[in-house]
Amino acid sequence: MSSLHEARILILPLTFLCCAVTVNVPAMLFLAFISGIFWDLSQYLYCPPVEHSLYQNPVETMRFGYSCLLFALMGFGMFGIQPLFREGKWYFSALLSGFVLFLYLIVDFGTLTFVRGEPVFPRQLFHQMLLSALISMALSPLIFFILYKLAAWSRYTISYEGLKKSHAKK
Amino acid sequence: MRPINLISLLLFLAAIVWVLTLSEKTVQQVHATYYSMVSPFLKSGSSIERRAQEFIKEVEHSKNLEKQVSLLEKNLGTLQVYKNRFHELEKENSELRAALHFKERTRFNVITARVIRRNPSTWWKTAIIDRGQESGIGVQVPVLSYGGLVGKIDQTTEGMSTLLLLTDEACQVSAKIEDTPEVGIVSGIRGKIGQESSLKLRYLSKEAPITKGMKVYTTGRGGLFPPNVLIGTISAYESGSFDGIATVTPSVDFKSLNIVFAITDQ
Repeated sequence: MSSLHEARILILPLTFLCCAVTVNVPAMLFLAFISGIFWDLSQYLYCPPVEHSLYQNPVETMRFGYSCLLFALMGFGMFGIQPLFREGKWYFSALLSGFVLFLYLIVDFGTLTFVRGEPVFPRQLFHQMLLSALISMALSPLIFFILYKLAAWSRYTISYEGLKKSHAKK
Repeated sequence: MRPINLISLLLFLAAIVWVLTLSEKTVQQVHATYYSMVSPFLKSGSSIERRAQEFIKEVEHSKNLEKQVSLLEKNLGTLQVYKNRFHELEKENSELRAALHFKERTRFNVITARVIRRNPSTWWKTAIIDRGQESGIGVQVPVLSYGGLVGKIDQTTEGMSTLLLLTDEACQVSAKIEDTPEVGIVSGIRGKIGQESSLKLRYLSKEAPITKGMKVYTTGRGGLFPPNVLIGTISAYESGSFDGIATVTPSVDFKSLNIVFAITDQ
């Protein structure tokens, strides 16, 4: 994996993004909350208190639950081209998921850097983020395929509400 | 905005505020429950991963064998399989012997543990080991390897523990440089990945007589880490406006970290 800059497949955020584009706002927010909680649980770092006289600058960590906010923001990002997705053009959403994941990684690391101070952004980290987003994005068609199958199985219609309204007016 | 969307957004924000204001103790309890639920999957996942790696190795090995079979007799190829298996067993044997030897010669009471998973998080440098509370491993327990200090236990549950590696920025260790009165704090460097995992030693004197190759040890101050455990060697030193910062190459090869030792009694 060293040749891939330790890139990771971000399966949970990717699954959330793919799901987010198929549902309405309340469901997306619910998914953002659940996904954010599970994401933070898997990432949680305890960092127990140490002797403050010796370690004068304790390293700050993010509050548990903050990922829910980032997930919701990502979800709203995906909503931008939801009409295209609902017209069947899923590949735009697939591309957007990679872009949104890349933004998420930058914002996540940026927030951490802001909290801890001493801004750093090594090139290797940029490559890691980019490759993680790209590799994850490559998996999005598979997730969409599973979601379409699930929708067909559960008879859930991914309908375009805007079109519905315009048809109703006619 | 539609009323239903507005209401759901407000509910979402309320839920976020509730979660963000949870006490550390509650979060730890939730996290412990989560880990106790997922630990069987993590362990089985790890064993599947190991089997997959073994499978990939086996496939590679089989390809090599095919070439050999075309050149040599079938028996010779079979012998080669046995030979490779023997090497694997020999390697494992020497690894276990080294672990046993380390346990015998170290001045601490240690528990041997195997690293079952690496880097489960995005930014933190952590690993999961296959020993937990049932083995007497508690939070903040220092962890060593053959080469020196590895890190400390961050969280522990039944059967497994999360190890915060020395290369993480959150793992701070009071350290001293050999043959000098210099004392500072060693920690990982944020954003460093791959082969470039190195440490920084801060709060040194501005004009400290530090040269490349000097060894860095723990001081034992604070009572968390035992004194005189090797951390690494100085690879660079930079004098700043107020203090000096040294770059330290860890003595432990974190890339091939397999067996570690948790100190149970200093």
